[in-house]
Amino acid sequence: MMCDNCGKNPATTHLKTVVNGVVHENHLCSYCAANQGYGNIGKLSLTNMLASMFGESISSGKPISKRCECCGASFSDIAQSGRVGCSECYNTFRQELMPSLNRLHGKAVHIGNAPDEQKPEETVQDKIKKLKAQLSDAIKAEEFENAAKLRDEIRALEGEENNA
Amino acid sequence: MRNWYETVDLNNPLVVSSRIRLARNIKGIPFPKRMNDSQKLEVLENIKNLLDGVSVEGVGNLKYINMDAVPDEELFAMVERHIISPDFAKKAGPKGLVISENESVSIMLLEEDHIRLQVISGGLKLSEAYEIAKKIEDILSGGLTLAFDNQLGYLTECPTNLGTGLRASLMLHLPILEGSGSLPSLADSVSKIGLTVRGMYGEGSRSHAALYQLSNQVTLGISEQAAIDNLSAIATQIVNKELNAREGLDKKILEDSVYRALGTLKYARLLTSEEMMSLLSSVKLGVSMGILENIDPALPITLLVEGQPYSLQKANGRMTPADRDVLRATLMRERL
Repeated sequence: MMCDNCGKNPATTHLKTVVNGVVHENHLCSYCAANQGYGNIGKLSLTNMLASMFGESISSGKPISKRCECCGASFSDIAQSGRVGCSECYNTFRQELMPSLNRLHGKAVHIGNAPDEQKPEETVQDKIKKLKAQLSDAIKAEEFENAAKLRDEIRALEGEENNA
Repeated sequence: MRNWYETVDLNNPLVVSSRIRLARNIKGIPFPKRMNDSQKLEVLENIKNLLDGVSVEGVGNLKYINMDAVPDEELFAMVERHIISPDFAKKAGPKGLVISENESVSIMLLEEDHIRLQVISGGLKLSEAYEIAKKIEDILSGGLTLAFDNQLGYLTECPTNLGTGLRASLMLHLPILEGSGSLPSLADSVSKIGLTVRGMYGEGSRSHAALYQLSNQVTLGISEQAAIDNLSAIATQIVNKELNAREGLDKKILEDSVYRALGTLKYARLLTSEEMMSLLSSVKLGVSMGILENIDPALPITLLVEGQPYSLQKANGRMTPADRDVLRATLMRERL
């Protein structure tokens, strides 16, 4: 069946109106239905979906009365709106937020850029990894003097790590 | 320097624009929804002091605009030029915008997040746009402490933006894929690899000008460069699909529909924006396929933006839809 309104698309929304006992049927495609205001039946907004994800943490846990010191939001404020109150909330309510954040993003951890002053300190392992990459580049480029130096640095760091 | 809709990338004429958006917040200040007016004014003042009048290499001077004082027509004309979001245009209360001369940089202040930094340019220029965004972010982080967490990345009001806070988008012109009904299945496949496609300049997911925006969705656990590379690679594949589909078209039928579109645009006395968009889409197709050689390749998209309802009103004052249709037809006649 094609849309009664535009005649171009298949009808997916079927309306029945009864006026003074006279039944009138109308079949519309999704676009025309949306244009005439019938498109919002059961619409899912992002806010509602997020709110229901956070809401589950409330119903499954004990009541939470703490509030964020920065913005004054409680966890139920966040859960009801699906929106976080301020950046500090992510610390204040980390435990409550994490299960939903994991469902949203998986177990992912940020690996992109960071503000200069907040860059995480390089661990010994990071340094070793970086030097090993440089070492293999140096060997490929046949810069053996440089490679030997890098190898010594790596050994020193690995020793440091074993001692710690 | 020209706006995104006045430039065309001759190597990639199907990629209409590239857009980078970074969501950033200031540490220790509530997100806009929970701010009072005096906090809002203070944040606006601080950012104004950091950016107003500052010159950025490759962009020019930045200018701060107090958005409370901007009339609605101009706000919605900015939406049509993709300078600000519809939500920002509608939002009440103190808000600000930092913008560059050619509007390639626009920074919404106190939208959903404190800072929504956008860089937009014509053609396939995502990496260049990202470099500019980073330069401006560096200026901001020189004067402000941005909210950041080692595990969650940049902290945003909506948890879906956590991580890089980066949304990269490409606007693609895909008339033949659209006409062959391939877009729903395309949208389905790209969603499996963390991207979305939505129609631009239309109602819901439909586009009146066969313009579709391809964006990344994943922001946590992926670096900025990887997100950009991924998006560009998939866009290139989609563009090649469109180009292949064009090869198989019947030349005579194609020429006929392109010239009919041009003819209508040149001689019509009344044009609705829907009709204008679909005709300009055919003209753009004709230009990029070498059928219409005497039309500036950037012109179809320029006219598509200038013919939008608020952009017409911005230049000519408030008017009824019927008067706009007359004016729109005149604009097309004069320029084509």
